[in-house]
Amino acid sequence: MKPALSAAAATSLLITLVGCGPSPIDPQRQIGANPYLPPIHEYLLPPMHVAKVVGWNGATPTAAAGLKVQAFAKDLANPRSLYVLPNGDVLVVETGGPPGPVSRPKEIVMNLVEKMAHSRTKPGQRILLFRDTNGDGLPDQKFVFLDHLHSPFGVVLVGNDLYVANTDAVVRFPYTSGDTQITAPGVTLCELPGGPIDHHWTKSLTASPDGTQLYAGVGSNSNITENGIQAEIGRAAIWQIDRATGAHREFATGLRNPNGLQFEPQTHTLWAVINERDELGPDLVPDYLTSVRDGAFYGWPYSYYGQHIDPRVQPQRPDLVAKAMPPDYALSSHVAPLGMVFSTGTTMPEHYRGGAFIGEHGSWDRTVLNGYKIVYVPFTDGRPSTRREDGQWA
Amino acid sequence: MPLSNPRSSVSLRGHPIHLLLAPVPAVCFVATLVTDIVYWQTAAMLWADFSSWLVVVGVIFSVLTAIAGLVDSFRHRRVREYRAAWVHGLANTAVLVLSFFNALIHTRDAYTSVVPTGLILSGLVVVLLIVTGVYAKEQT
Repeated sequence: MKPALSAAAATSLLITLVGCGPSPIDPQRQIGANPYLPPIHEYLLPPMHVAKVVGWNGATPTAAAGLKVQAFAKDLANPRSLYVLPNGDVLVVETGGPPGPVSRPKEIVMNLVEKMAHSRTKPGQRILLFRDTNGDGLPDQKFVFLDHLHSPFGVVLVGNDLYVANTDAVVRFPYTSGDTQITAPGVTLCELPGGPIDHHWTKSLTASPDGTQLYAGVGSNSNITENGIQAEIGRAAIWQIDRATGAHREFATGLRNPNGLQFEPQTHTLWAVINERDELGPDLVPDYLTSVRDGAFYGWPYSYYGQHIDPRVQPQRPDLVAKAMPPDYALSSHVAPLGMVFSTGTTMPEHYRGGAFIGEHGSWDRTVLNGYKIVYVPFTDGRPSTRREDGQWA
Repeated sequence: MPLSNPRSSVSLRGHPIHLLLAPVPAVCFVATLVTDIVYWQTAAMLWADFSSWLVVVGVIFSVLTAIAGLVDSFRHRRVREYRAAWVHGLANTAVLVLSFFNALIHTRDAYTSVVPTGLILSGLVVVLLIVTGVYAKEQT
């Protein structure tokens, strides 16, 4: 019987399709200036695989030679970003994203997967301050520094102005060295694209070395424009915000989800780590570290690594693709770099000075996990010098 | 003397549940094809979102319809003796299987959630629905 045959054939064919996908390659092939880019593989069902949340449980991650990892603070409600004040006080941002609308059945499933990947603790919406009074490297005082924020992430201090990037605005607070709590109401310097859809909600923040400009990372509002191109206005970009007036412009665009904005201390150029697109296979598209040039377009959503077209975006924009700039340094696929800091002090071993430490949140759509660690990229003359070095995690 | 039709054993106030449910997936799958075509022509994501819901609701109601239909056919030997019942069952299994994979294709993001694979599957499903519908009419 024909329908029976076609049903059987369709079932076996499509089941094979679900089961198959390219096996992940060695991430080392995608680290550095010229990553290997395999052909696109679109899934029927992306592999959903996240590391189990276990907490500290007394175990500590294995560190690279000369380094040690220990708990700095415990029992935090989703700590997502850190900022060290000039007096050594450490700010810890407890935060979580705003709930978004469900526009497709897929999002119901995705929300469940995300829940599995995150702690069950309800995220805080505040900044804690930790102070080490006896110089043993561990804090002995804890304060609620700033409370009732709105999905905060980036923090930067310029003089006596402390800026916090909530998901929908950069807000200024008065700060004097030694303060342990800010009660003054914040003043909005510049509104940022927030809800009702707020897909990539973390707004990374830094200031220019002369302190006149702020730079905010505004992530895209989708994986690859599935919420409509109109939801992407002002997004997938790094904003330059004038500190004096609050006026803003898009400093660089086509950066899907830029985080870890930092000025490289030697050359005073802006660098960032970018989370690239998902669901094109286990090894596409590599996330990257790049210098950010004024006015440059880095491809998202139309293309990646220069002129590699993404077939999921319609209508395409060949005019933009033509000028898409390839990034400087690939970090391999789906590692999700969400934090970066240049090693500027002298407390680190000699080997770890001048380069960039990058925090990798870790993959979700790859059968072999990638990321879930801190890596170090050595710099020479303001550019990544060699292959990065992994801190090994047990 | 002609035999009367077998009474459905899965019924609501005498109405067979299989027949009550059957139009829901059919309408959903036809509507999926319509919204797929509109998305293909406009690239406005709203239409792909419609398709995404329609195909999933269609699959859920397909499964429920199939369960009711299977129970009826297991309970009544005479249903199983109709060649038409077998053709109907197998054709609709094909509709369900194709639509299940179509629902997966529609979980992709943006253009390739519809064009070309989703659109082709939606079209095949509607063709199957029409063919089996015509066949069923010709048997009665």
